[in-house]
Amino acid sequence: MSKPNNSQASPPRALRWAVAGSVVVMIAAGGLFYYASKMAAAKRQHNHDEVVVNIHPGSCEPNELSVPAGHASFRIVNRSERAVEWEILDGVLVIEERENIAPGLSQVINANLQPGDYAITCGLLSNPRGVLHVTPTAASDAAAKAKPSMVAFVGPLSEFRVYLATQSSALIRAVTTLNQAINSGDLAQAQAAYLPARTAYQHLAPAAQRLAELDNSINARADYFEKREQDPAFVGFHRIEYALFQQRNLDGLSPVAERLLGDVNTLKQQLLAKSLPPEQLVEILVRNLNTLADVRAASGEEERYSHGDLNGFAANLETAHKVVELLRPLLTKSAADLLPKIDSALGDFDNTLNGFKVKDGYASYDTVSGEQRKQIADKAKALADALDAIDPALGLSGL
Amino acid sequence: MKKTPIALLLTLGLLNTPLSAFAATAPLDLVGPVSDYKIYVTEQLDQLGTHTKQFTDAVKKGDLATAQKLYAPTRVYYESIEPIAELFSDLDASIDSRVDDHEKGVKAEDFTGFHRLEYSLFSEKSTQGLNDLADKLDKDVQDLQTRVAGLTFPPEKVVGGAAALLEEVAATKVSGEEDRYSHTDLYDFQGNIDGAKKIVDLFRPQIEKQDKAFVAKVDKNFATVDRILAKYKTKDGGFETYDKVKDNDRKALVGPVNTLAEDLSTLRGKLGLN
Repeated sequence: MSKPNNSQASPPRALRWAVAGSVVVMIAAGGLFYYASKMAAAKRQHNHDEVVVNIHPGSCEPNELSVPAGHASFRIVNRSERAVEWEILDGVLVIEERENIAPGLSQVINANLQPGDYAITCGLLSNPRGVLHVTPTAASDAAAKAKPSMVAFVGPLSEFRVYLATQSSALIRAVTTLNQAINSGDLAQAQAAYLPARTAYQHLAPAAQRLAELDNSINARADYFEKREQDPAFVGFHRIEYALFQQRNLDGLSPVAERLLGDVNTLKQQLLAKSLPPEQLVEILVRNLNTLADVRAASGEEERYSHGDLNGFAANLETAHKVVELLRPLLTKSAADLLPKIDSALGDFDNTLNGFKVKDGYASYDTVSGEQRKQIADKAKALADALDAIDPALGLSGL
Repeated sequence: MKKTPIALLLTLGLLNTPLSAFAATAPLDLVGPVSDYKIYVTEQLDQLGTHTKQFTDAVKKGDLATAQKLYAPTRVYYESIEPIAELFSDLDASIDSRVDDHEKGVKAEDFTGFHRLEYSLFSEKSTQGLNDLADKLDKDVQDLQTRVAGLTFPPEKVVGGAAALLEEVAATKVSGEEDRYSHTDLYDFQGNIDGAKKIVDLFRPQIEKQDKAFVAKVDKNFATVDRILAKYKTKDGGFETYDKVKDNDRKALVGPVNTLAEDLSTLRGKLGLN
């Protein structure tokens, strides 16, 4: 009997020791864990300067924040019952966001912020929005004055490439329409289809002129050929213009129209394949406007048979507007003093051309006097000069 | 100029080292892919506009069966371009918010868009009183088209979009939370995956230059996800409802989706956009 007694007594004793031991270990582990998490939290605070935002069911706390410009980390703690999102907004545009933060959990948002005031959303869409003030620092002031980095040009150049793609497609469609009219032998319809096709081409002209040979077969005037209009090598838009508006005869024009359609398709491919260095974005406009100021405005030689020159000038100007819009954020940041000059040069040229608007387009160029042509040339020149200041101001040329 | 033979050898050695081996991505190399992405988004939005019109026409005609059928295939176009669409917070809320985002739930005045219509069509099985909601969705989608056309795409949002889409999948698709009334989550799932894959494909040459093994790993995980999703494709090109997805397949999706989300979140850094 004693043996069983002994054996009964000893396990509880062992168990007591074991329990005591494990309690000690647990306390120690708990202590260590507490210490480690305190250290981690302290380290986190220390390393990242996290700004903690608590999202309650109906509001954020704090609802108004202020951080210095540059890198900022926000720890968003969801103290509501539902999954929420937290966003930093500039107007309606989301600057940074974190979606689906589960109830009781937290997430970190890292943001690189420019000085200014932003709205912040706080969970439910009906909850009041908070304010995030981002205050300027010495570094952000210096960055504001610095020239933009190459990365800053990726957006505008991409957008310009999209513009080239869209306008090339429009050109292909318009030339297809012109082609169909010519093939069907309908002179009036072909004449009507010529100008829209020219508009699309003139949107692209600044970029197309980089592709010398291809552009010649699309846009060369008769003067460039030994036998002028009679030269068999004379093809492209102006050969068609000559037939439509001077000869008023579609005979033998189909192969020329066919070739033009092939060429504008190639133009699209090449425009998209060729990368445009950032300094060229403005340079091609300046070059295009200078030919307008120096030659095209005074002579009216470009559309000498149809007299649709003003239509083309307006399309050139639209592309200038487009590029200025694309560069506006960079100019506002790095060359704000240039913008008023550029905008007023754009506006002046707009006004001058608008003065020639008639019901469905622009006045025929043969009704525009020498004095008026000089005015057009002057406005184009003034715009070219204003635009010419952009590259140096953005650090894109040595001058 | 005088040069020692050793200096010459060193120079020759340097010249022979492929520069690309340690050159970072040149920012201007990103212009092509970023603009091609905008073209892709624009095309998807055109499709979204056309399909939304057909969907809302069915709703307004009171044709419940057609409206139900068109709901999921219409949304796909939104889901594939979400990184850009959700940059516009107000439109994202009015087009794609869930009932949980609204304090008053289903009855909230500002609960509009796809999921509000989904609730009526699939939960109440009714097209009653949805005219204004249908018109508003049409208008919001058109508004989105105009705004995206005018937006210069921030390169870091485009590249970061791949990870954002996978996080979206991980957070809302695997759980079946997104389309809780229609259970058409697999359409959205595929839309998110296709949108992310498009971004990887557009930047593939630049990423491969930095890390070939990375691209192979990402491709493998995309293929795994696609393979599982393909099991649930229906004959009409659509998908089974999410409740049909087997437990082992749900589990099998979690791994590759999370790995993709994690891997793709390093893309910005790889392409020098951090």
